[in-house]
Amino acid sequence: MAQTHELKFENPSFAKRIKGMLGVDFYRLFHTPMYYIFLAIAAIIPAMIVSMTGADGGQTMYTNVWNIVAADSPRYIVHNIGEYANMNMVFIFGGIMVSIFIGHDYRSGYVKQLFTTHAKKRDYMISKSLVSAFSMACMCVTYLIGGVVGGMISGLSFEVNISSLLIAILGKVVMSLGWASLYTFLNVIFRRYFGISVAASFFIGTGIPIIGAAAIIGNNSLLNVFLYGSSVYACLSSNIVTMLVCAVVSVAWTVIYNLLGSLVLSRCDVY
Amino acid sequence: MNAIEIRGLSKSFRGLYAVDNLNMTVPVGAIYGFIGENGSGKSTTEKLICGHLVPDKGSIKLFDRPYTDAGVRVRVGALIENTGCFPNSSVWDNLMMQAINLGLSDRAGEIDRVLRIVRMEDNAKLKFKKCSLGMKQRIGIAMALLGDPALLILDEPINGLDADGMRMMREILVDITQQYGCTVLISSHILGELEKIATHYGIIRQGKMIQELSAKDLEGRAKVFTSLKTQNMQGAFGFLRQKFPDVRAEDGYIRIYDVDDTEGIVGLLMQNNFPVREIKKNKIGLEEYYIELMSKKEA
Repeated sequence: MAQTHELKFENPSFAKRIKGMLGVDFYRLFHTPMYYIFLAIAAIIPAMIVSMTGADGGQTMYTNVWNIVAADSPRYIVHNIGEYANMNMVFIFGGIMVSIFIGHDYRSGYVKQLFTTHAKKRDYMISKSLVSAFSMACMCVTYLIGGVVGGMISGLSFEVNISSLLIAILGKVVMSLGWASLYTFLNVIFRRYFGISVAASFFIGTGIPIIGAAAIIGNNSLLNVFLYGSSVYACLSSNIVTMLVCAVVSVAWTVIYNLLGSLVLSRCDVY
Repeated sequence: MNAIEIRGLSKSFRGLYAVDNLNMTVPVGAIYGFIGENGSGKSTTEKLICGHLVPDKGSIKLFDRPYTDAGVRVRVGALIENTGCFPNSSVWDNLMMQAINLGLSDRAGEIDRVLRIVRMEDNAKLKFKKCSLGMKQRIGIAMALLGDPALLILDEPINGLDADGMRMMREILVDITQQYGCTVLISSHILGELEKIATHYGIIRQGKMIQELSAKDLEGRAKVFTSLKTQNMQGAFGFLRQKFPDVRAEDGYIRIYDVDDTEGIVGLLMQNNFPVREIKKNKIGLEEYYIELMSKKEA
């Protein structure tokens, strides 16, 4: 099947380019055990936390099982572990997973194949952000399942405003895109330093910078312009405004991080 | 049309120029042997062509288009430094990922085709990390061949291969240029092997292209010489130096460059009581040409 005699060069459309890169990223994701391990971790951790809460005679972290998804109200200042340990932890697991996933591109040298055939660097940013967002959204689902199972075991109350709960869950799923873009950007910045990229993703994912800022300026809704702030804002008293805030913040940061990442990749050596 | 046309290309790392005002022309359909010592800038040039590095200045055109053009880059296959495969995935999976990346429609068919070309069809299920060096190099070529590449950029693909592996690689490269019409840019230290397949050469030193020539040019420029042994090597050497402009004592022989009249030399030596034990006509190869060029540059 000799076919290379023709010297025609057709510019592939954006859709075709992104389809190719997304295809390979999803293929890799579904063929790597790490993805399934992280899905399991995202399920086991909340199940364990909720179960242990029930077993704790003295202190009760949660009275309601849905607190494992989100706090009752947006609390940027953390007073106890119960206010902190909720679905936002998925963004910590996700950060580590994304760092390993992207780090593997560089360590194996596969990134050379990608950048040889894809002249447009933004394809890489977009594809990695979308695949990472998908994997974090999947982690949100397994987290929810783990939390509910743990809650059932520990016999906690399931009473909740269902629309607020759905908005809180959807809000956090929507936030996955912004977080995924942030982690992709961090990994592009630290592409030569795998350890640093994992540590940076973990540190940012914990929300410590925003929690620190909140300790200074208080529970200020201005913090919602940041990814962690909006993720906290998606709580059990959410309404449609919360959903809008999450969507706008997530998309805005996605655009910013994708532009910055593409800029870095096109102005600097790719590895 | 040239497959690669580079003008005034420079790339520095921390102030040191790895590629310095480089010009390069690779005609379509050529097997271009890219020669230079370690650190001369071969790999950097190849990475620049593939868009892995950002040049400080200069222009790179591939098939008369800017190298950043998505249409031309999708038809570039590369094997630079390592294969770029995931070690825990099988050979097939690695090729499948590249086939998906390229957006190929008949992926399985394409993978079978390239595996046949590199003679790896029986090892498709093997994990990449279990493959030998020679197999890895061939998988790298297979990756680069997927789709419809018009240009292959291969960085030291024959390094570390045994004689049989080198022969196989040589046959594969000749096959793909003749059957599939690819242009191949190949860098190697093993000049003897390169000489057997290259149609053009580029010699780079300290980031600068010091000479580009075709295999025909090399043939024309390559010096002929006569090498001989006599009973009295010292005396004959002194005598011949008076008669010919370029006489050297090398490798236990007296070499008379640019002269291939063996009968005349034998006659001359016999007349002057230097009986000849052994005499033969020679032509210097790529390796000697390269060494001579380098020593001239150093001088």
